[in-house]
Amino acid sequence: MRILVVEDDQDLSRQLHQALKDTGYAVDVAADGEEGHFLGDTEPYDAVILDLGLPLIDGVSILQKWRADGKTFPVIILTARDQWSEKVAGFDAGADDYLTKPFHTEELLARLRALIRRASGHTTDMIELGDLTVDNRSARAFVSGAPIKLTSHEFRLLSYMASHQGRVISRTELVEHIYDQDFDRDSNTIEVFVGRLRRKIGTDRIETVRGLGYRLVDPEDSKA
Amino acid sequence: MANRSLVSSLVRSAALWAVPALLIAAIILTLVYRNTIYRSFDDPLESAVTALIASVEVDEEGQLRLTREPLDPRYQRALSGRYWLIGQDEGEGPLSIFVASRSLYGESVSIPETALSDLNAKAGEFIRSPVLGPDENEPLRALARQVVLPGMDDPVIVLAAADRRPASRSISQFAVIALGLLIIMTVGLMTAMWMQVRVGLRPLFALTDRVTDVREGREAQVDGDYPPEIEPLAQELNSLISHNKNIVERARTHVGNLAHALKTPIAVLQNEARLKDDTPSEIVNRQTEIMASQVDHHLRRARAAARGQSIGVTAPVDEVIDSLVRTLPRIYRDKELEIVRRGEAGLIFRGAKRDLEEMVGNLMDNAAKWTGSRVIVNTELLSSEVDMKITIEDDGPGLSEKDYAEALKRGARLDEATPGSGLGLSIVDDLCTAYKGQVTLGKSDIGGLKVSLTLPRVRPNV
Repeated sequence: MRILVVEDDQDLSRQLHQALKDTGYAVDVAADGEEGHFLGDTEPYDAVILDLGLPLIDGVSILQKWRADGKTFPVIILTARDQWSEKVAGFDAGADDYLTKPFHTEELLARLRALIRRASGHTTDMIELGDLTVDNRSARAFVSGAPIKLTSHEFRLLSYMASHQGRVISRTELVEHIYDQDFDRDSNTIEVFVGRLRRKIGTDRIETVRGLGYRLVDPEDSKA
Repeated sequence: MANRSLVSSLVRSAALWAVPALLIAAIILTLVYRNTIYRSFDDPLESAVTALIASVEVDEEGQLRLTREPLDPRYQRALSGRYWLIGQDEGEGPLSIFVASRSLYGESVSIPETALSDLNAKAGEFIRSPVLGPDENEPLRALARQVVLPGMDDPVIVLAAADRRPASRSISQFAVIALGLLIIMTVGLMTAMWMQVRVGLRPLFALTDRVTDVREGREAQVDGDYPPEIEPLAQELNSLISHNKNIVERARTHVGNLAHALKTPIAVLQNEARLKDDTPSEIVNRQTEIMASQVDHHLRRARAAARGQSIGVTAPVDEVIDSLVRTLPRIYRDKELEIVRRGEAGLIFRGAKRDLEEMVGNLMDNAAKWTGSRVIVNTELLSSEVDMKITIEDDGPGLSEKDYAEALKRGARLDEATPGSGLGLSIVDDLCTAYKGQVTLGKSDIGGLKVSLTLPRVRPNV
């Protein structure tokens, strides 16, 4: 899962970056409105954390532009502005959630999870596929109840595929959603990660659809 | 004195000169008329006296004799009210009459002492005097002259008199008419004066009405064309209103900026401190928590203090409620939230939109937070004509009666279990009080808490 943080305060932005990375997200950070708008416009994020008072372009305007351009990723507004008029304006511009500063990082993470979950149509943080369980809350995965050791990139890959299970996901899409923009992107590394993941959770759980990409499946289903 | 109505003081000062002036005019007119009447009354008497003097003779025996009597037939008819006589004042009692008109019928007239002494003093001059006549002492007016006749030693009095009642009647009739006319004139003049003042002051009254409109929120500015005397006042009022608005707006902006400026650093400090478990982090954590709540508290106080002060600011209630009805389900996505909107439409709050949003927003948010599924928002007019009532109720657990007072208390948090919850009622209460409104808590018919706000509204112009 790839998250965009648009926040002009350096320290807060660094903290958010760290906390999100620790939770297993790929994170991009923008320090002003223009950069934030550009990134949101060009990269396929799974969620955006957006400050309102930004240099160059304010948060509400960015959000309105994104929505006008048909961007549907969930956006959570993180701001010191706590008045209802501002909340209403934020939601009317297309926000999906609104959190006021100061905030607890855990609450932000919980809300972010809820947004991503809702956007992909799941109702809980636990995604199950046969005896495979992906817990987005603790960033861990289990097979038949036994925890599997995964690196953060491996988990991101699994989590993204679990959220979109049953659908064929192209390598490019995987690259876009599990790496942040600073990462040296090479779609061949995806093959390496998929290989490692297969070894850990079982080869038959990830199908290769030639020329298109990968699909996460429940091997019991395909047998039946 | 200082607060007497402009209209009444203008009319009063006009009355102060107009009433005496008209009264004096009435008196003078009556006097002039009276003189005219008496002059025409005296003329025939004077010619009668002159004729008598010219035709009287003293014969050899010392008796008075008239060569020619005055012609007027009324002198011949008994007690006709017109008489003449020639007599002598003997000091005591009535005149001794030498010759008299037949109309006197052997009687005499009684001449007051003052007239007799006047006659003596001014011999040869005409003396006018009221006298009493022979017919039941009827009031007469006499013209007399004391003359010395050739052949007589003592002076004689030649007198002609006529009933003065018709003349008096005519004069008093005239006086009544004159007075009546002048009273009518006075009333007319006062009315005209009053109307003129009303008309003259009309722009001032119009200005008063416009200021009321602004005060009650129907208008944002004092509109209209005013005469050059009042125009500067209207302009000053307008700039005062916009100045006031600017000050309040600036205060709000500053407060908002301060909030933004402080909250981010606090968030950063808190996040940083929560990462570690040592003592300094704990202290930073605790202190930033206090800072956050202090900032919150004082910003809210500062915002509340700026309210109720700006003049002519209004907000449509429907718009505010509609936007919240739209927003809340997005915040509480996990609930099947059903918000029912009831009651009067088209109400206008007399105050700032964001304040109404804060009040209704906090209450609806509370309701949405605690409800099972249903939230009812009701608006109604109050009979006082200047107030409205917004009621928000839910079907959640509600509060027990003993908690009502506690809930409104500043900073009280009734349920610490729901993170960051606090009922927000104290904010609502602060705001509502700033608008001289009222917050009432009660039990809802659908089970949960029912909160009623009484707030000022704009009374539509009738």
